[in-house]
Amino acid sequence: MRRKNRRPLTPPAGDIDVSMTPMIDVVFQLLIYFLVTFSAADVLAFLDISRPAPDIEQSMPPADMIRIAVLKQGFAMNGRPVSDEELEGLIRQLALVSTKQTVLVNCEEQSLHGRLIQVLDLCASHKLTQISVMSSP
Amino acid sequence: MNTRFNSQSSGINMTPMIDVVFQMIIFFVCTAQLEREQFSEWITLPGAPHAPEMAQEKDPRTITIEVDENGRVSIGRTPLSISKLRKVLIKTVADYGVYGPTIPIQIRADTMAQHASVRKVMEVCTASGLYQIALIAVKDSVE
Repeated sequence: MRRKNRRPLTPPAGDIDVSMTPMIDVVFQLLIYFLVTFSAADVLAFLDISRPAPDIEQSMPPADMIRIAVLKQGFAMNGRPVSDEELEGLIRQLALVSTKQTVLVNCEEQSLHGRLIQVLDLCASHKLTQISVMSSP
Repeated sequence: MNTRFNSQSSGINMTPMIDVVFQMIIFFVCTAQLEREQFSEWITLPGAPHAPEMAQEKDPRTITIEVDENGRVSIGRTPLSISKLRKVLIKTVADYGVYGPTIPIQIRADTMAQHASVRKVMEVCTASGLYQIALIAVKDSVE
């Protein structure tokens, strides 16, 4: 028995005519949307620190450590107030001696977090990695 | 002979492939956006151009704690009080058992935040037994 109105499985070669225009329209719309909403992410850095255990926090640090104090205004090194440039010079000299030294950063509670990061960044730039952060009122 | 494999008449239908590719593009764009949105956009991180760059693949257990310029503490955009933060950290350490103390902590603190608020967060971390603390800064900004 012959089937009537049987459609061919594949259309004849000449009939394939995919219209690309709507697809290109949509792709352009998407492209423009992503370009407008794109915001490049910042490259982040991390600064590893070690905190003294809570029970020994109040004990005095050894005298031979590099002690940097982050004050509300400015910095101090081993108890002497220093400017930003002086601090960098001193850290550079100390890093030349040894980069294995422990740096004890004592941060005042009123000081800004950005200034602590500034000191930690200075230490990182001179390859000082043993950094301990303490806090003082 | 007119079969479906006839090279003369068969053409690969591109429509399903384009559909799937678009679906995938949209999926990846949306998930990438979600990952970025888990942190608050109101925190201005301090700059540290010389610090080591953060690894692309971080420990999946990492806890990121945010401190904004007014000293408010949050994890994943959920504001927490210091006592609540302590409870969360102690519970997390307990859940991980012997591996608990090796959970890394990342602190995203605003550059204008006072050290007192960051100190509180660090003290809670050490009191919970977490000593792997890192401060997050911007190494290279695009703008």
